Amino acid sequence: MSRAGATCPSCGSSNIVDDELYSQAQLVCVDCGTVVSEGVLASDPVGGSDVSYSRTTAVAKKPCPNLIKGLQRVRALCRILRVKSEIEDLSQTYYSQAYQHVSFINVTLHKKEVLAGCCVLVSCRLLNWPITMGTISCLLDADPDLVGVIYKEMVKILNIEAPIVNLTDVIATHIQEYKISSADVSGDLAVNSQDLTKRAVALVELAADAWIVTGRRPIPIMMAAIYLAWQSLKPTKQRLKFSLDKFCQLAKVKKHQPAAKRITEIKEMLCKLGKEIPWVRETVSPENVARQVEDILQYRFALLRRALRTHEEALLDECQASCQDSPAEEAVLSHSSEPVDQTPNAPSLEQCEMNAEREPGDEHENLCTEPQSDTQESQAPAPNWGKRLLFVPPCVIHPKRRRMEQPDLKDVTGDEEISDSEIDSYIRTPQETRDFARTQKILSLSESDK
Amino acid sequence: MDSSNDEALDIIITNVVATFRTRCHLNLRTIALEGTNVIYKPEVGKVLMKLRKPTITASIWSSGKIICTGATSEDEAKLGARRLARCLQKLGFKVRFSAFKVVNVLAVCSMPFAIHLIDFTKNNRPIASYEPELHPAATYRIKNLKATIQVFSTGSLTVTGPNVQNVATAVEQVYPLLFEVRKPICK
Repeated sequence: MSRAGATCPSCGSSNIVDDELYSQAQLVCVDCGTVVSEGVLASDPVGGSDVSYSRTTAVAKKPCPNLIKGLQRVRALCRILRVKSEIEDLSQTYYSQAYQHVSFINVTLHKKEVLAGCCVLVSCRLLNWPITMGTISCLLDADPDLVGVIYKEMVKILNIEAPIVNLTDVIATHIQEYKISSADVSGDLAVNSQDLTKRAVALVELAADAWIVTGRRPIPIMMAAIYLAWQSLKPTKQRLKFSLDKFCQLAKVKKHQPAAKRITEIKEMLCKLGKEIPWVRETVSPENVARQVEDILQYRFALLRRALRTHEEALLDECQASCQDSPAEEAVLSHSSEPVDQTPNAPSLEQCEMNAEREPGDEHENLCTEPQSDTQESQAPAPNWGKRLLFVPPCVIHPKRRRMEQPDLKDVTGDEEISDSEIDSYIRTPQETRDFARTQKILSLSESDK
Repeated sequence: MDSSNDEALDIIITNVVATFRTRCHLNLRTIALEGTNVIYKPEVGKVLMKLRKPTITASIWSSGKIICTGATSEDEAKLGARRLARCLQKLGFKVRFSAFKVVNVLAVCSMPFAIHLIDFTKNNRPIASYEPELHPAATYRIKNLKATIQVFSTGSLTVTGPNVQNVATAVEQVYPLLFEVRKPICK
């Protein structure tokens, strides 16, 4: 079709038509054939169109289905644990925040489930609901180490400072798993859960004083305490004969291997205290200590005092017998033994009742002190503090043997001469090399024959 | 309350890790064949060579990068590294000892008192972190020294840092914080 009002610049004709050559719009003069004007070959702007592909094909953004499933899982976990509704809401908020973060958006679904558990755990901790990581890993059926790793990362990302769980609070919830009330078990073996809780809590606090709790996983300790508490509440022959395996089967709980070691350690500690009871005639041994547990717990402070005094007297005798150097040493030792009994114990009783929320390990500082530590140290340096105190952590009883320092390497500068003969000791001679290669070949042949 | 009290604290260096380069390609099979005290790990692609004196274990890679571990001081690490380079030279490789760097130093230290970890963590959040169910020690990271200190309730400390000076400074920095939260158990 011709264009009105346009004239060809070369021949002046007004017969200009729109001619599209290969989709390029052109105005061409019919008479002489000159191209008057032409359009751009492509009508898109340089560098691509203004609207991106994803925007043109976008649909309304739907929430990620795995996020929804994860939130449902969080809710389910909260219902199973029967926690407060605030904990449920808080854990859902944390989960959605953590899920969107770059370090959790692309992980496997298993890890996302573990993340859900960790969110529940941290919300429980923040709102003072006692729960252990072991419980969460049991619920999720996940490796406790994996739970730990994800928990640490999540706390770092969300910048949360969660308070540390106190063992005595956790025991009460933990005991609910053990089915040994009169509803589940026959009369003689049944026990009231409140009595059990009280007894177990007292045992755990005592164990904390004796360095049994520090640094150990909480669940085996709780299992050991509950087992011993159950035995001691009614120390009949039948109950004393029950091993840990049978007890776990009775209570329908999975047995933890370290619990057996904890039981031995707690029994040892109870024996040390049980020996001091004045009205017990028979020798206290780990087998029959369960009967004395009630008395031990009732009079534990007095027994602890007596045990410390006996221990110090024993050390004093040893000292006098072995090293007869300074009478000053003995004077210092006997000096320090007296204030120990009198001063800390009165305030410690009140403190122990007041500070229920502090870790049980605190009581150790009140009970097992030797206040004139500095003077004693400077005058009588004992070889190992494990021998001096009655209750010590196992790492001090069996200390690691340090590698002996090699005296000839003391003045090493790093730039010494290295002799050839020394280096030759690290290199095989050609004959040895040939033998070695031959032996290797023979060995590999014989293996491939098999 | 400064660290130079009646008894100086013994900081025992247990491990020094250093790396260096030989600036030449190394044939691992030759080293495995002609060297004594070597373990060849073809699946990973390295050779482990143990020196007797100083007691050093070196991971030798075919690119010429070598990592030495097991020394008990920085100078010992350097001596061991040079000995190793000399050994490789004798095996026939054109080794040039270069880019020696101490990468990590691990030391242990013992406080003469027990420590209350929960109070320590509370006083030093967020630099200190403590998860008793995961690990029995509280971790204290000093950013500017790039040192990490693991504090155990028995009073033992494990310090890791990029060199010995940083490790010593880290112990000095953390001592007053530990002193405030001690449990009076004498040692």
